[in-house]
Amino acid sequence: MPKSVFGVDPAIAARRRHAFARGLRAVAPATIATGTWGLVTGVAMVKVGLTTAQALGMTLLVYAGSAQLAALPLIAAAAPIWVVLLTATVVNLRFVIFSAGLRPFFMRFSLGRRLFLGYVTTDIGFALFLSRFADAPEEERGSLEQVWFFLGMAAGNWMAWQTMSVLGIFLAAQVPGAWGLEFASILALIAMTLPMIASRPALVGAVTAGVVAVLGAALPLKLGLVAAVVVGIAAAMSAEILLERTGART
Amino acid sequence: MSDLTIWIIIVGLTCVTVATRSAFLVLGERFALPERVQHGLRYAPACALVGLIAPELALANGSLALSLANPKLVAGIAAGAIMLGTRSMIAAIAVGMLAFTALRLLAA
Repeated sequence: MPKSVFGVDPAIAARRRHAFARGLRAVAPATIATGTWGLVTGVAMVKVGLTTAQALGMTLLVYAGSAQLAALPLIAAAAPIWVVLLTATVVNLRFVIFSAGLRPFFMRFSLGRRLFLGYVTTDIGFALFLSRFADAPEEERGSLEQVWFFLGMAAGNWMAWQTMSVLGIFLAAQVPGAWGLEFASILALIAMTLPMIASRPALVGAVTAGVVAVLGAALPLKLGLVAAVVVGIAAAMSAEILLERTGART
Repeated sequence: MSDLTIWIIIVGLTCVTVATRSAFLVLGERFALPERVQHGLRYAPACALVGLIAPELALANGSLALSLANPKLVAGIAAGAIMLGTRSMIAAIAVGMLAFTALRLLAA
């Protein structure tokens, strides 16, 4: 029950600490990607003309790199508020899909906790969590170990993002764009993603998602990415069904 | 834009973050997904990450650039090969950045 996950019972404090530490360790290699992305976003906020206070407020509150990067040019162009918010919503649509993936794990918690667990969900956090626990038995879903592992990852990711983003805000003038620093975050994502493609359906899904993302890259609002996720999942599921059938026959 | 407008946008964007990321956690009581779809969501992480990566590697200035003259593509493939060979993320990023920088300097 939720109490045994979040309560103050000293008997479970140690288990909680261990799960949290495992989450921190699991996310550690990925902080390279998160950190460089945070730095790039921090620099971009200042370069577009936000004051230091506004940039700090944005990074500490909004905590969504791709949505922030999409909003900045609109803010610079003095677009209407609703256009900025709508754009960010569409850019964030993939998180709606992620929240559906996390639902079986977090559904039983209070509304406030669900909102918080959603708020701290990132691309990397979701990816690492689900690739680890997607096959966990149903009765373990939302267990202390899973939730505190998730919170450990979220904490590590949050610290890496905020530290580097704040650094970017204060060093904006000194960071030259010519270093190609943002490419390091792409390389880190590649290194993270490859081990996740561990089955044939996953490979089919990933290749399909890649092709759709490239074809849809010209679409506005990162809609190509949403299409890539949706079509990629569909392709992986189809491959799974096909493999089951042919597997049963041979 | 006025300072106030920008702060309104910042608060609005924060609401967008919370609303999108917790959408199914909050509304899921009423809208349960079919088991098949729920099962398929395990493929979402890899699809989303590849969806973020692929355009960065395959496109240059918005057009398809599947050639050895594309430093990002070559460096990305090199980093991927190192990752598969060594399982070391640091080695993959280091080799990728070296290849990327070397190829850009060669092209310049």
